[in-house]
Amino acid sequence: MKKIISALAIAAVSFASCNNADNNNTEADVKADSSATAMQSDNMEGQNETPMNGILTGYLQVKNALADDNANDAANGGKAISEAMAKLDRSSLPEAQAKAYNAVADDLKEHAQHINENSGKIDHQREHFEMLSQDVYDLVKSFDKTQTLYKDFCPMANNNKGAFWISETKEIKNPYLGQKMPTCGEVKEEIK
Amino acid sequence: MKLFKKIGLALLIVFIIIQFIRPAHNTSEQLLSTDIAKIYTVPDSVQHLLNTACYDCHSDNTRYPYYAYIQPVAWFLARHIKHGKADLNFGEFGTYSIRKQQSKLKAIINTIRDDEMPLTSYKLMHAVARLSKEEKDLIMKWATITKHDLQSK
Repeated sequence: MKKIISALAIAAVSFASCNNADNNNTEADVKADSSATAMQSDNMEGQNETPMNGILTGYLQVKNALADDNANDAANGGKAISEAMAKLDRSSLPEAQAKAYNAVADDLKEHAQHINENSGKIDHQREHFEMLSQDVYDLVKSFDKTQTLYKDFCPMANNNKGAFWISETKEIKNPYLGQKMPTCGEVKEEIK
Repeated sequence: MKLFKKIGLALLIVFIIIQFIRPAHNTSEQLLSTDIAKIYTVPDSVQHLLNTACYDCHSDNTRYPYYAYIQPVAWFLARHIKHGKADLNFGEFGTYSIRKQQSKLKAIINTIRDDEMPLTSYKLMHAVARLSKEEKDLIMKWATITKHDLQSK
């Protein structure tokens, strides 16, 4: 009987500490947010890196990491997108950009977060990357870019349903199939 | 042995005390105008499956089993429901952007297909949530059609 009681109580305490761990996470999130704000002021002199460009930079980091089968680096790219989004002030955007951004923001945020949290599951990161690519495509169409971008398509990605991605190079580097089939795909559109 | 008795008693007291720390229940009587059933066609057969296999954690209405009144079980459930609703709340589906709705439908298809949802721990306690192949197909087909309709929006 005593053993049962002890076991129950131990279970209770461990569950309680699980709850505490959850709270700690939230605190860590808050800290991460404030450090993102700090970074923002540090970056003030680097005016050419707008938050919109920051989202694109983060996306390309995810894309290149997935092409290299590097889930950890993809996770970092996801984090970079989230940080760029946190810096973005919607009211400062021109109308067309604001419209494009508002249409995808909640979706973009979630994909970035999931890619960041799933460094151990590259297949899952790639599933989110597919929808992320749609969001980023809509965004880059709405703002002036300093570089030419390419919309690439691979018919074998996404269980042979096909999927596209945005690339900064004309050369194909497939983020869906990675090193298994690095050159599958073709340029469908040049985005200038 | 005396020490064991003391520890056992202390733990028993802890167990009794935690019974009074109750998380708020996730129940709401009203069907919100943002509920997926209010904005898209959800056939009765599909709605029934969503109600029995998904809504406990992915809506504002949980049907609590008897053991949910015992701590720390209720804490465990409350955490699951909180995370479940943060990822997808069918009752707030209409507040998502069209793009996010598409993503969610895709995620529904993928998680059902890969047997990631309903969670194993949930299926263990809820026999009705163990979906048959036909039931899974029904949900996936509905989600595919709904997602397809959204693409033209």
